[in-house]
Amino acid sequence: MPDEPYNPSPVGNPSVLARRNWWQTMLVKFIGKHTPKCREMVRILSRSMDEPMPLTMRIKKRLHFLICCWCQRYEEQLRYIHETARQFPEQADEVPGPPLSEEAKERMKQKLAEQAL
Amino acid sequence: MSASDIEAAAARWVDDHGECLYRYALVRVHKPEVAEDLVQETFLAGVRGYEKFGARSSERSWLVGILKNKIVDHFRKLGRETSFTDMQFLSNEYSEKFVSVGFWDHEKGPHEWRPGADEVIHRTEFWQVMRDCLTKLPQKVRDVFTMREMDDVPSKEICAILSITDSNLWVMLHRARMALRECLEMNWFDKPAGGRA
Repeated sequence: MPDEPYNPSPVGNPSVLARRNWWQTMLVKFIGKHTPKCREMVRILSRSMDEPMPLTMRIKKRLHFLICCWCQRYEEQLRYIHETARQFPEQADEVPGPPLSEEAKERMKQKLAEQAL
Repeated sequence: MSASDIEAAAARWVDDHGECLYRYALVRVHKPEVAEDLVQETFLAGVRGYEKFGARSSERSWLVGILKNKIVDHFRKLGRETSFTDMQFLSNEYSEKFVSVGFWDHEKGPHEWRPGADEVIHRTEFWQVMRDCLTKLPQKVRDVFTMREMDDVPSKEICAILSITDSNLWVMLHRARMALRECLEMNWFDKPAGGRA
């Protein structure tokens, strides 16, 4: 189906553009053809968490998001994971798990006291 | 600062932050004795560097920062001993989520999350889900992911520490994010008690 790069049913599709009329159909086809497919887009989005995305790709991404709210969500969620994950270390004592034993604490205090002298 | 002041401060650190540092270290290195050593080293470095600690950040962030460096050093020493495995996990493309031309299958695409972003991080249950989801990743992939997203180590440095190539790193991070996203969605955001509460 070379002429049908993307043919989502508009029903229940919350994307900005979703083949709801002739114009949208044309735009959706055009954007679907000239931007990376979702499978590739999610790789690109992951990589952009670690290094800057080139300008042309940023533009393609924006266009792609017009026809694909799922990739847009995916990016938001990666950012969310990125923002929350880094707060985990400071909250680590909130997570149930094997505790640091009292003996270990005493050992540490003792070593620290020796070090301070 | 006198020796007795430092001693008192250090004893307080052990009580206030020991648990947190230890549990994080344990999530990272999996061996209680190694985790304990790392925490001990962190406190010692803290005592030595106490002069340099202004009140710029909280005591805990400062100590956690030291611990992160200790963990990275630990992996640096281990680096070359671990081999690159987990191919099965890495070859899983989640292809069932995409239709054949490569777009999301609408039924299986990401759901909308309503995180209540600021509130969620103080919820024990959320962190528990996060940790359980991390535990499901193969160890090497988890190491790479946590080093990047929790310890905030630049990707180039991770490649050097673990002696892996750039493209290996991208693949591992991508699969880790995909799996973690999926797991958080299933076990937290789609649950009534989760982000939608």
